[in-house]
Amino acid sequence: MSSREFSATAGDDARAVPLRLLVVQEDERAAVHQRDENLVMTFPHLLVREIIAFLALSIFLVGISLIFDAPLEELANPDKTPNPAKAPWYFLGLQELLHYYPPLISGVILPGAVIGALVVVPYFHINLHRRPLYDDWHIAKMITIAVAVAALSAVFYVTAAHPVWSLIATTVGIGALMLLPGLAGTRSPVLRWLSTRSLSFWLFSWFLVASVVLTVIGTFFRGPGWTLTLPWRDGIY
Amino acid sequence: MANRVMRSIVRHGFPDTNRNRALAVFSNFFLHIHPVKVREKAIRFSRTFYLGGLTAATFLILVVTGILLMFYYHPSAPRAYHDMKDLEFTVSSGVFLRNLHRWSAHTMVALVFLHMVRVFFAGAYRPPREFNWVLGVVLFVLTILLSYTGYLLPWDQLALWGVTVGTNMADAMPYLGKEVSFLLLGGNQVDENTLVRFYVLHCCVLPAATALLVAVHIWRVRKDGGIYIPEDEVRELVVGVEDRDGDQDRTAGGDSNQAGAAGPKEAGS
Amino acid sequence: MTLIDDLQADIPETELARRKVLSLLTGAAFAIAGGGTAITTVRYLRPNVLFEPPSKVRIGPPDLIPTKTLLVSTEHKLYLARTVAGIFAMSSVCTHLGCMTRYDPGKQSIACPCHGSRFDETGAVRGGPAPRPLARKYVTIEGGQVVVDIRKDVSPDFLLKV
Repeated sequence: MSSREFSATAGDDARAVPLRLLVVQEDERAAVHQRDENLVMTFPHLLVREIIAFLALSIFLVGISLIFDAPLEELANPDKTPNPAKAPWYFLGLQELLHYYPPLISGVILPGAVIGALVVVPYFHINLHRRPLYDDWHIAKMITIAVAVAALSAVFYVTAAHPVWSLIATTVGIGALMLLPGLAGTRSPVLRWLSTRSLSFWLFSWFLVASVVLTVIGTFFRGPGWTLTLPWRDGIY
Repeated sequence: MANRVMRSIVRHGFPDTNRNRALAVFSNFFLHIHPVKVREKAIRFSRTFYLGGLTAATFLILVVTGILLMFYYHPSAPRAYHDMKDLEFTVSSGVFLRNLHRWSAHTMVALVFLHMVRVFFAGAYRPPREFNWVLGVVLFVLTILLSYTGYLLPWDQLALWGVTVGTNMADAMPYLGKEVSFLLLGGNQVDENTLVRFYVLHCCVLPAATALLVAVHIWRVRKDGGIYIPEDEVRELVVGVEDRDGDQDRTAGGDSNQAGAAGPKEAGS
Repeated sequence: MTLIDDLQADIPETELARRKVLSLLTGAAFAIAGGGTAITTVRYLRPNVLFEPPSKVRIGPPDLIPTKTLLVSTEHKLYLARTVAGIFAMSSVCTHLGCMTRYDPGKQSIACPCHGSRFDETGAVRGGPAPRPLARKYVTIEGGQVVVDIRKDVSPDFLLKV
């Protein structure tokens, strides 16, 4: 031990024994978290975008209004029901479903459940972090998906007045997309993107595709007596 | 004098300074729902496709065209149908105005649906924005109802039977179905009473409710911090302490065990 | 939070000139669109077809109109009379506040029940708050029939010579 080693006791003359006390602490200053984001002035940047968007919308709407006429059929006659009697297009999905399930299910329970599910979605913190479906337990998950798809398709096959092929196709299609990364690997960017989608994504996509498919069928492919028609052959009813 | 007149209406100077640009938004009755500055990332087209704003704009077009159409429309059967014929044949620009109203209606239903899909896939419904999502769902339902009540007004076969199919579906509701149906129709079938009720709903009640809720909906977006940008897109800096020794902790100096004997290092600049 | 301040940049003269031109063109486009919209809206609001009774009314052959008394047409709100000089038709609407006047052949006067205005058989004001004589309407003979255009006002001494 060198005599230069510091040792000091209380009572030593400070001028004779100069002491320096250094305390190096772990940094405990309040760290200010700040998001570094670029801001722009609302005027003009946001406002000019809003104006352009409004103009584009107006041009589009005025354009189609000048070309396509709104329909006007004959005077309302309560004694004469047209065939087919179709609801406005946004209800045609439900009307198509009416073909398979009684009004209580397709007109009340199902739309009610959809609205209810939509309202409740943000309050259920499942999948708040959007965990990808394939982050663990691949085989078990794939089997579960396949079983669920089969079960749901069976429900649509058995419980309806006639098998709801449109919904069965939707279920199988979405199920296939869910299973694709597990079967075909994740080589391409598309497969990788598919593999990172969360369960809530797939559920919502199912509803989206199902509603679009049902509405399209109800609009273009249903004719008198709600029979199947082909728009290119029989026209649109 | 002209300057005095201008100054009395517009209480800021020409917006060629940032201060005047800020005032142009802040001191304007119509514009001050916007913040004075926005995040540059938030206003890109590819983020929201401006779907919410476009839905509101379509609603505005519908209100204006709807009010104009009201000048020639009598909500009584069968006069209503003849009024539609009048609009088609004898009223200047009647065809155009009716077309614009109808196509804007379809467009608004489509846009509000796409807006909901976009918000869902972006995850912009997550806390603290849950209630705003609920408001959005309510607005979606109101839009459908507006379209549905308007559908009856031309009083042609399409209108009468389209609405009849819809009310038959509502009728299927247990317990409430019959009562709701009776109130909505103003009776047991779709007739003149229904027309007047749907007219009142379509022109007064539903637009007022929609306008009010749209205002609350947009206000909440503002209060929640503007358009949602996902966490991983926001670069977060911890201000004040740079990570100078590359070990990704926020301590200055090396291994914290050596802190006492290392001697003075320069404090962070 | 950093503001991207686009006011800091220097703008070259050519760019300023270009912006001026574009602003002018945009302003002109908006003016044309706005003006067109305003004109079209006003034209829309003016009805082209009116569901009102026709303005020209047929009374009947000239002989129908008496000389000593007034012919009252309540349906068309008219009084018709024949003098030596000719036929005239006047509105039976009181010029005070629009009430329907009543003719008393015995007293040879026209009276308004609302505020007491009185007119003589030529429509001149005899008393009461009415400010003007009863409005005379344009009369012609068409196809042997007396025709009155109730939308065409004429001077108080107008007569159709027969």
